[in-house]
Amino acid sequence: MAEAPALSVQGLTTEFRIGGQWHAAIRGIDFDLGKNETLALVGESGCGKSITALSIMGLIPKAAGRIAAGKILFEGQDLAQLDEEHLREIRGDRIAMIFQEPMTSLNPVLTIGFQVAEALRYHRGMSQAEARTHALELLEQVKIPSARQRLDDYPHQFSGGMRQRVMIAMALACKPQILLADEPTTALDVTIQAQVLLLLAELKQLYGMSMIFISHNLGVVATIADRVAVMYAGEIVETAAVGDLFDRPTHPYTEALLSSIPRVDRTSDTLMAIPGQVPAINRMPGGCRYAPRCALRQPVCERPPALAPVSGSAPTHLARCWVRAGGDR
Amino acid sequence: MSAVTGDMAAAPPRANRALRQLLAAFNTNKTSWVGLATFAVVVAIAILAPVLATHDPIEQNILEKLKGPSAEFILGTDGFGRDIWSRLVYGARLSLWIGGVSILIAMVVGSLIGMVAGYFGGRLDIAIMQVMDVLLSFPSLILGLMVVAMMGPSVGNLIFAIALTAIPPFARIARAPTVSVKERDYIEACRALGYSHPRIMAVHILPNIFPEILVMGSLWLATAIRVEASLSFIGLGVRPPTPTWGGMIREGFENILDTWWLSMAPSVAILVVVFALNMIGDGLRDFVDPKLKGERGG
Repeated sequence: MAEAPALSVQGLTTEFRIGGQWHAAIRGIDFDLGKNETLALVGESGCGKSITALSIMGLIPKAAGRIAAGKILFEGQDLAQLDEEHLREIRGDRIAMIFQEPMTSLNPVLTIGFQVAEALRYHRGMSQAEARTHALELLEQVKIPSARQRLDDYPHQFSGGMRQRVMIAMALACKPQILLADEPTTALDVTIQAQVLLLLAELKQLYGMSMIFISHNLGVVATIADRVAVMYAGEIVETAAVGDLFDRPTHPYTEALLSSIPRVDRTSDTLMAIPGQVPAINRMPGGCRYAPRCALRQPVCERPPALAPVSGSAPTHLARCWVRAGGDR
Repeated sequence: MSAVTGDMAAAPPRANRALRQLLAAFNTNKTSWVGLATFAVVVAIAILAPVLATHDPIEQNILEKLKGPSAEFILGTDGFGRDIWSRLVYGARLSLWIGGVSILIAMVVGSLIGMVAGYFGGRLDIAIMQVMDVLLSFPSLILGLMVVAMMGPSVGNLIFAIALTAIPPFARIARAPTVSVKERDYIEACRALGYSHPRIMAVHILPNIFPEILVMGSLWLATAIRVEASLSFIGLGVRPPTPTWGGMIREGFENILDTWWLSMAPSVAILVVVFALNMIGDGLRDFVDPKLKGERGG
């Protein structure tokens, strides 16, 4: 990448306190997010995707969690070191986030127009009238039908897909450089999913944003992402351009994820479930974290593997596996 | 709704739906209309006291003392020959003023304390609510009595004493819904939009918990009026000759066997106001009832 990345995460480790001891929920996360790039974070529930996003936003609850190591470089600042007040200026203004649940992510007692305008009034100091005009434009941009009439409606008068559009409008209000989308389409039904994905891709172009797209759905990822990082148990286990990953899934976990997608062009008895579950963060195996569930397990997997280039693929294609990616360090 | 509001762009439309629900709650509970009407009449009487009073409420006229109801003295006269009706309407002013202001203070301060405790949680929450529990363990009359006895009876001190006794229940009623609302996704979304804690509390949490606080307010206004009357009755209220309902009951109490109407009039007045406020409270409670709330709870 010739250009400086929009966001650079280096060795990010976030820990949570469980029974008086600190356990890492994500460990040594490294990635660069280029300008206008969409990076997808993929993995099953509990693998640390959302924790990564919340760490970037500085929204890890202070009572039980902390960023223990690593840097989050954004516009020459390390977000991990920044105090709450400065983080607040960045959040919602230059880095915005969309959440998974559109049904509960809007305040039920405030109108849509008010909630969209609020970010503008708060971050941009706009007057009420000015922010309202702007909110209307945003709602039209996210394709809310007859937006002018709906400005004074309450969230319960909107469907799930429409609410997610409103959430997107709120997130985009201040024209952020980076958008974190945490499973934005998971709670929507399939046709709506496609519309929202299309909208996100369009708006990304329009605003010139970079996007981190969190999903467990590889099908969705294939349509929207430029690059993919597969996460497992708090680590990135494989990262590659989206084409390379789908052509040559290397880590056994990636492979398993791909074969657990139901597809029309295959019979359903080849659909594979991954046995077992992600280990609890206070019971992580010492070596390769996927080893207990891995069919290719070798004695060497008792030691932790590093991310290593996958031979025969693009140099940006890295995997964390002794067996598949050599990892002979 | 959009058809009706149409071009009300400037007016905050937020109140409309809450208002409609309030009307629905009042309509299912018709007595709350009676309560509201009664209370409105009492307030009107208090405001119009100078017009409605037939005599000076303080001027003594020893020749006319302890007269029964008559054309000149609608409700008779007391031991100093003062017109009971005039004293009653002026007493309404003071009772409502003391009750209203003290509950307003308690509502604002108590809700603020409760919201802060519930929102930030942890040790701060525990510390604040322990203090509230200690205050709560005193019956409000006893606590009010202690404060007024220490600071001396005056309108300001009475308001302070009653507000102090009413703060803990408001803190509690504000804290409980705050604890549940702050865990909602939209509060996290607010944090992700970079809003400050005070803003989140004032703009996003308060409207969610306000109905509960309002119900408490209507019920505690009745209590405040009662406490004020009780303190006046035992001589710790506003000093005579200023007319207050509690004070009038006490004055009438001295002659209760001969001239029962002296105590009767202010007692009935207190009874009516307390009843009215409780009826309003019933309607408001239906309004915040989760079963009727439906979609609003979110």
